[in-house]
Amino acid sequence: MRNIESIWLVLLISSAAAGQTATSPNASPYAGSEACGACHEDISNAFAKSPHHLVDLDKKRGWQGRACESCHGPAQKHTESVSADDIRNPAKLTAAAADQICLGCHLNQPTNVGRLQSSHAKDQVSCTACHKVHANGPSGMVMRKASAINEQCRSCHVSAWAQFQKPFHHRLPEGVMSCVDCHNPHGSIRPAMTQIFAANEPGCFQCHGDKRGPFTFEHAPVRFESCATCHEPHGSANPRMLVRQVVRLLCLECHASLPTVKVSRVLGVVPPAFHDLRSPRFQNCTVCHQKIHGSHVDRNLLR
Amino acid sequence: MALVAPILAASILAAPILAQQQAGTPPAAPAAADSKPTAPVAADSKPAESPVPANESWLTGSIDFGYRWRTGVAGSFDAYRSIVNLGSGPKLLGAEFTLTDPKHRAFDQIHVRAYDWGDDPYSSFHLDAKKTKLYEFNADYRDIAYFNFLPSYADPLLARGIVLNEQSFDTRRRFANLTLDLLPGNWFIPYLSYDRDSGSGNGATTFVSDGNEYPVPNQLHDQTSLYRGGVRFELRRFHATLEQGGTTFKDDQSVYQRPGSTNFGNVLTPVLGRTLDLTSLLASYGIRGTSVFSKGLFTASAASWLDLYGQFLYSQGDSDVHYQQAATGNLYLQNQILFYSSQQYLLSAAAKLPHTTGSLGAEIRPLHRIRIVESWLTDRLHSAGSAGSSQLLSGVGISRPMTALLASSIATNYNQQEIDVFFDATSKLTLRGGYRYVWGDASDAILPPAGLASAEQGQLRRNVGLGAVTFRPSHRLSITGEAEGGSSGGVYFRTSLYDYQKVRAQARYAATASLSLSADFTILNNHNPLPGVGYDYLAHQESLSVLWSPAGGKRWDFEGSYSRSDLRSNIGYLSPQDLVMQASLYRDNSHTATALFNVNLPHGSRVSPKLTAGGSFFISSGSRPSSYYQPMAKLWLPLSKNLNWFTEWRYYGYGEAFYLYEGFRTHLVTTGIRLTR
Repeated sequence: MRNIESIWLVLLISSAAAGQTATSPNASPYAGSEACGACHEDISNAFAKSPHHLVDLDKKRGWQGRACESCHGPAQKHTESVSADDIRNPAKLTAAAADQICLGCHLNQPTNVGRLQSSHAKDQVSCTACHKVHANGPSGMVMRKASAINEQCRSCHVSAWAQFQKPFHHRLPEGVMSCVDCHNPHGSIRPAMTQIFAANEPGCFQCHGDKRGPFTFEHAPVRFESCATCHEPHGSANPRMLVRQVVRLLCLECHASLPTVKVSRVLGVVPPAFHDLRSPRFQNCTVCHQKIHGSHVDRNLLR
Repeated sequence: MALVAPILAASILAAPILAQQQAGTPPAAPAAADSKPTAPVAADSKPAESPVPANESWLTGSIDFGYRWRTGVAGSFDAYRSIVNLGSGPKLLGAEFTLTDPKHRAFDQIHVRAYDWGDDPYSSFHLDAKKTKLYEFNADYRDIAYFNFLPSYADPLLARGIVLNEQSFDTRRRFANLTLDLLPGNWFIPYLSYDRDSGSGNGATTFVSDGNEYPVPNQLHDQTSLYRGGVRFELRRFHATLEQGGTTFKDDQSVYQRPGSTNFGNVLTPVLGRTLDLTSLLASYGIRGTSVFSKGLFTASAASWLDLYGQFLYSQGDSDVHYQQAATGNLYLQNQILFYSSQQYLLSAAAKLPHTTGSLGAEIRPLHRIRIVESWLTDRLHSAGSAGSSQLLSGVGISRPMTALLASSIATNYNQQEIDVFFDATSKLTLRGGYRYVWGDASDAILPPAGLASAEQGQLRRNVGLGAVTFRPSHRLSITGEAEGGSSGGVYFRTSLYDYQKVRAQARYAATASLSLSADFTILNNHNPLPGVGYDYLAHQESLSVLWSPAGGKRWDFEGSYSRSDLRSNIGYLSPQDLVMQASLYRDNSHTATALFNVNLPHGSRVSPKLTAGGSFFISSGSRPSSYYQPMAKLWLPLSKNLNWFTEWRYYGYGEAFYLYEGFRTHLVTTGIRLTR
């Protein structure tokens, strides 16, 4: 363990040292943003209102007056030849190569700390698939309005959007919620890139605070797996977005009363009770076991 | 933990001082050493003037308001409220505006958005304000009606007819979030945030007593407040975020039945010749909780070929509970065959839940075309609770005091290690292969034991192979496919992923400049062959969407999608009353389509009306056959440069084959005006 710590320490120190000794890029011929704007007027005008325009103004960032070339590379040759071959177009690079340009500045921000777990990054979905680098507006460089975010996400995630058309769904089609309320598009350590609440709790508790606990008597699946064990988070034909049509089958699939717990070594299998399910009274388990997410009071989750 | 708070406090306090130093420091000053330029600074070091025109309007935006009529709801009004819940009345349908201060005094710009105000089931408000390099402020507020009253979900008396749903509620949940980032764009960014989540309202629940359960009214009120503050250090080659926060929680639910009425509950059959009833009840929960949490994040560009990532997350929540219950009636204690007429019950309980998560990872680029991503994650959650209760059962000739002490715990340790190798075979083709190993253990116990399920332990072992291909032969076409296959040596639950295969494919094709298509396919096949489980699960979904806007949508455009999904799940269980093997079979075969057709209608020189028509439908068969139609049409009529009139029609139709009484249909017509500036 101590060895591992030492290795990390050496790695960090050496990386910092490497950072200090990094040299500036070659003094290639730069044209300057004004030269770019002479031909690309629309882009230049939009860019002037963009948060990225700061790159053009801020001396510290090293690209003062050359913001265009911070992504597109030296443009002097391009201004002379007017050939697309003489300028770097990130849109024509591989996603990873294009992202490296963005990450040159943006890697060292908390937004990207979950990038290694991001399925977007793994599937070569580049930053520019969602962020418009030149554009500006009330949304900045990315959609901010819930309905606009949803529209952008659904352009790829068609299947997910279809699930929201089911009768019991989170309020995304209505525009009061957006995909990023639950998912972090940059990546997250939680499954399905879901958001995190209060450091390391499931993002569901952001809105469903009454289900958060800690409970005196927990219902294990909530902690060991996720809310999605019982709920379809996007939408379902079943009330309360359950994954089964009736409550008792959902419960019985785990609480199966099977005496083979030592063979299958799964939790919750042994008979919790011997109710007669033929009686309507026992067909909806949550009528009595109402504190199904966990109870502060009763070990059987009855109150 | 003890160190984080003082460091954080010192950092926040030092922020303004450092910021002032930063502002007056030449670029070569030590504070900016890590922010040194990546390219030569322009020889002409005079800051470029912003080309933004200074005479832009200080206020731009639009506001939509109008009136909505709802026709009578045919069918189940409760189901309508559970699913749609839109009502009649005057509405502020939407407002979006931007305030700009050309002199950049207190702010550069303020953006405000507000939607669906006027007793709508979901209302929202959002405000963004910023002043470059000084602050960014975001405020968000949402108010969502949360209504659920569906007999098919929980009607234990269905055999006697459709009666009160015993797990229903009519509540509102309200969320507020305020976030302030100071010195954005600086290398040192302190931030503060406050979140509030509250719910309140009424409902119906059950008071469960031995031998019977009684539907009773329920008052709900809970509130969570979250406070957090931190600082981000964003340097050229290194970033670190330190955050400290805490939450407070309270839940004051009360369940009651006023004296003077008799509630016979769900069981009308006499027990040992006596009819059970409840004549009064007051049960109140006093739950108070707090939590503290710490967060440390870092990313580092260690070298041109190496990026490092790490997270340390810690939280500890605790709760204190005081529950009291007083009930009268003809009540019954089954295990002692005891009838009593009054019960006093008091309980005090406490729980703690420390939760630690750590993650480390690296992206290594040893060669131009190869990237290796290695990540490791550990997550440890241990919860412990204890409860002490005393109750007094009394009746004619009876006074039976009873006490109990219970202790509970659950613990889970989850670990995951994954390596992925990316290979850019060509500039258009990227291949990925990887391997993930997941392992952990979990335990769940309540002492003293009662019944058969008081202490359990489980293990998780899973090997997962990963593969993916991304092919972009041209700008018009991109194809992505990824596959994952897992084999488990132990899982926690019968329905957990065990031996599974997951495949996802996606293609996007821009056939012309005006026509683009995308298709999506997913399949998940999960199988657990262990004795006593025998679980088979297969789900697949296929989707196709089209966007067609000839001539850039000048005359018309169309956007549509169609999805088909099929889900089959088979698992066995023993029916608890006779321990006979039964099968839980779940089938869901659904078709979903959405469409939106925009037409710019023929017009004169001044008026150019626009018609939008479309909507969605969902039809399913299987275990819960249902249909849900939401067609709509909207007409826009510009009356002047800054004034539009619109009218919209929507229809909601919901039907269920098995629960016909839950179907509904209604029309909504909204008309209003949009003012723009």
